[in-house]
Amino acid sequence: MSVYKLTYLEVRVRKSLGVLAGIGAVSLVLAACGSTPDDGGATTAAPSPTDTTAAPSPVLPPVKACMISDAGGFDDRSFNETAFLGLEAAKAEYGIETLALESGSDADYQPNINQAIQQDCSLVITVGFLLGDATEAAATANPSVDFSIVDYAYEAPPENLQGLVYATEQSSFVAGYLAAGMTETGTVGTYGGIPIPSVTSFMSGFYQGVQYYNEAKGTDVDVLGWDPTDPEKGTYAGGFDDQNQGKQIAKNFIQQGADIIFPVAGPVGLGSAAEAQANDGVSIIWVDTDGCISASQYCDVFLTSVMKGIDASVKASIGAVVDGTFSNELYVGTLANGGTKIAPYNEFDAAVPAELKAEVEQVTADIVSGTITVTP
Amino acid sequence: MTLTAPVVPQARIAPPSLTRPIIMTASALVLGAIFILLSPMDAETTFIFNLGDTFISIPDWIVPSRTAATGFAIAALVCAAIAWPINARRGSLFLPAFGLGVFLVMSFLAWVGADSLLPITGLLQGSLLLAVPLIFGAMAGVLSERAGVININIEGQLLVGAFLGAVVASLLNNAYLGLVAAPVAGALLGLLLAVFATRYFVDQVVVGVVLNVLAVGLTGFLYSRFLTEDPDLWNNPEVLPTIAIPVLSDIPILGPILFDQNVIVYLMYVVVTVVQIALFKTRWGLRLRSVGEYPEAADSVGIEVNRTRFRAVILAGAVAGLGGAFFTLGSVGAFGREMTAGNGFIALAAVIFGRWNPIGALAAALLFGFADNLQNVLSIIGSPIPSQFLLMLPYVVTILAVVGLVGRVRAPGADGIPFRKS
Repeated sequence: MSVYKLTYLEVRVRKSLGVLAGIGAVSLVLAACGSTPDDGGATTAAPSPTDTTAAPSPVLPPVKACMISDAGGFDDRSFNETAFLGLEAAKAEYGIETLALESGSDADYQPNINQAIQQDCSLVITVGFLLGDATEAAATANPSVDFSIVDYAYEAPPENLQGLVYATEQSSFVAGYLAAGMTETGTVGTYGGIPIPSVTSFMSGFYQGVQYYNEAKGTDVDVLGWDPTDPEKGTYAGGFDDQNQGKQIAKNFIQQGADIIFPVAGPVGLGSAAEAQANDGVSIIWVDTDGCISASQYCDVFLTSVMKGIDASVKASIGAVVDGTFSNELYVGTLANGGTKIAPYNEFDAAVPAELKAEVEQVTADIVSGTITVTP
Repeated sequence: MTLTAPVVPQARIAPPSLTRPIIMTASALVLGAIFILLSPMDAETTFIFNLGDTFISIPDWIVPSRTAATGFAIAALVCAAIAWPINARRGSLFLPAFGLGVFLVMSFLAWVGADSLLPITGLLQGSLLLAVPLIFGAMAGVLSERAGVININIEGQLLVGAFLGAVVASLLNNAYLGLVAAPVAGALLGLLLAVFATRYFVDQVVVGVVLNVLAVGLTGFLYSRFLTEDPDLWNNPEVLPTIAIPVLSDIPILGPILFDQNVIVYLMYVVVTVVQIALFKTRWGLRLRSVGEYPEAADSVGIEVNRTRFRAVILAGAVAGLGGAFFTLGSVGAFGREMTAGNGFIALAAVIFGRWNPIGALAAALLFGFADNLQNVLSIIGSPIPSQFLLMLPYVVTILAVVGLVGRVRAPGADGIPFRKS
C-alpha cells in the first residue's frame, strides 16, 4: 500500500468517524428530546410576575421541582405518566419551575439524579422502587435538597427524604372481589413485571379479594399466577417492556380457563389487553391509571382499573415544599385517603350486576373502617 | 470447479470421538433419575392436546406422574443408546439427540405438571410465537455475518421495523401496507451499517451499538412527539388476521401450531427456506459466503467483496425489519417504546448457537422461545421450581448443547474484518 493510499484511507476513516459521532450526537439529542414530553425542560421560564405575587410565601426561595422517571419513561400509560401528571398539576397550581428527566435504563438513575441536583432543583422526585438505593444515596449526600420517591418506604430515611407508598393491596382486594363476582369460568389470573413489593402488593391484594369472595359465597374461584406462600413463584413477564410477552402470558392464562386477567406490569399489560380483545368474554383489570383514559383503544376489555393516586401524592409533596412543611414522614395512600381506589366500570357499567356493585361498595367501606384487613 | 481430494491413508483416521454419546447417555441417566425421583407417587399429570376446534380432537391424556416420568426417561435413554452405533459409523446424531431432548423434556413435564393441566399444544404454539421475532432476527444475523459483517444492529432493525410498520398501517389503515413498510425501515438502518462497515471500514460492533442507540432515540422521540399525541391517527393499526390454511390447519397438534397463524408467521417459513437454499445452493450464496470466509480469494476471482457485503447487510436489515413488524402488526397492534426488549440480542445468540447456519439458528430460536414459554406456563400452573431457575434454563441448555452436541462452533473466517483492497 502506497503512502498516498494510506493517508487517503486515514482521511476516509476520520471522516467516517466524524459522521458516526454526528449520528451518535443526533440520536442522543433525540433521546433527550423524547425524554421531556412537555416543556418541562431546564429552560422553562421563571414564574411570571403575576404568579410571583400569587405565590403563597414569597420569603421562601423559588421552588424548582424535578422528576426522574424509571426505565418505563413518562409516556408508559402507567405510573411514570401519572407521576408526571402530578408534576404538571403542581406546576400549574403553584407556578413553580419544573424539570423532567427520563431514564432510558437502570444505568441512567444516578446520572439523572446528579443532573437534577446540578440544575439547582429544590425537590427531586424519583419515580419507582428501582430508584430506591440511588435516591437514598443522593439524599444523604445532598442534605440541602429535598427528595421524595414514589413506591419506596425507607426504614429510617434521612431528614430530607420522603417515601410515597400506596396500599394498593386494598384497592386490588376490591378488584379481586369484583373479578371473583364477574368470572364466568371460575378462574382469574394475575401476573407482574418483576417480583418487587410495589408489584406484588397488587397481586397479593387481588388474591385475598378473590379468597374473601370465595369464603363469603362458598364459591371456588381459582387465581392463577400468584402463590400466596411465595411471591417469587408467581407469574412474571421479567420486565416492563415486552408487550409480546404480555400477549403470550394472557394466551396461556386463557388456555388455563381464566377469563379475567390483572396484569401488573405497566406497558406489558397492553399485550394482554390486545389478546383479550381477540378472545370473546375475556376482560382485563388495568393497573395504576384508569385504562379507559390512558389506553383508550382497549377500553372495551377493561372491567375496571386499580388506580394509584401517584399524581395527588406527588402534588402534595411539592405543595409541602412550597409551604415549607416538607418532612420525611412516610406518605401512605389508602382507600380511606383516596391515595388508591378502583376506577369506574366504564363500558362494563351495564354488565356488572347492581347487587355486586353494592357488595363492592360494602367491601370498600369495610376496608376503610378496618373491618377487613388486607396484608400487602 | 474441480477439487482433488487429498489422499489420506486409511490407518491414519482416528476412531470417532466418544464425547457426544457419553454426554447424551450421562444426561439421560442423571436428568432422568432426577425427574423420576422428584415426581410424586400418587399424583396425576394431565396432558392436553386440543387447542381451539380441530377436525380430529385428541382426548386429554391423564397419567400417573411417576409412571410417565419413568417411561419418558427410559425412552430418552434408548435414544442415547442408539447414538452409540450411529456414532461408531460416523453417522449424524441429529435424530437421537432430538429424541433425547424431547423425551427428557416430557419426563420433566410429567414431574412439574403433577396435579395440573399441561396444555402441550398451547405451550408449543406460544413457543413458536415468542420465537418468530428471534427467527427473523437470526436470519438477518446469518445473512450479514456470512458475508463477513458483524450485525449487532438486529435489535435496532427490529425496533424500527415495528415502529414504521405500525405507523404506516395506522395512517393508511391497512396492516398489509405496514408489512411492506417495515422491511424498508430495517433496510434503511441496514444501509447505514453497510455504509460504515464497507465504505468507511469503521469497527462494526461500534457502528452497530451506535445505530441501536439511534433506533431507540429516533423511535422514542417520534413516539412521544406524535404517537402519544394522537394515538388514533398514528398508532392504531389493525392486527393482521389469522389465516387458517385449509386441511393443514386441521391436523391434530401440528395444525393449530403451524398453520393457523397470521401472514408474518407464514412469511417466516418462506424466509428461512429461501435463506437456507439461497446461501447453500445458489451462485449468489456461494459468493456471499466466500466474501465472509476468505475475501482475498473472492476478490482474486473478480467478486466485488464490498459490494456483495453491502447488499447482504441491506438485505439482512430488511429481513429484521419484517420481523420487527411482528411485535406490532403480528402481535399487539400499537407500538410501544423499546418494545423489542432485547429480542435482537437473543437472536444474535441464536445465530452463534446455530453455527451461522439458517436451520441451526431456527432451531436455536425455537429452543429459546420454548424455554421462555415453558417458564410462563409453569409459573401459571404452579410448578415446584422457582421462576428464576426456569429463566436460566435456555442458557444452560445452550451451554450444554454447544459443549457436547453441536461440536466446534466456528465463525465465518472474515467475520467482522473490513476488507480493504490493496
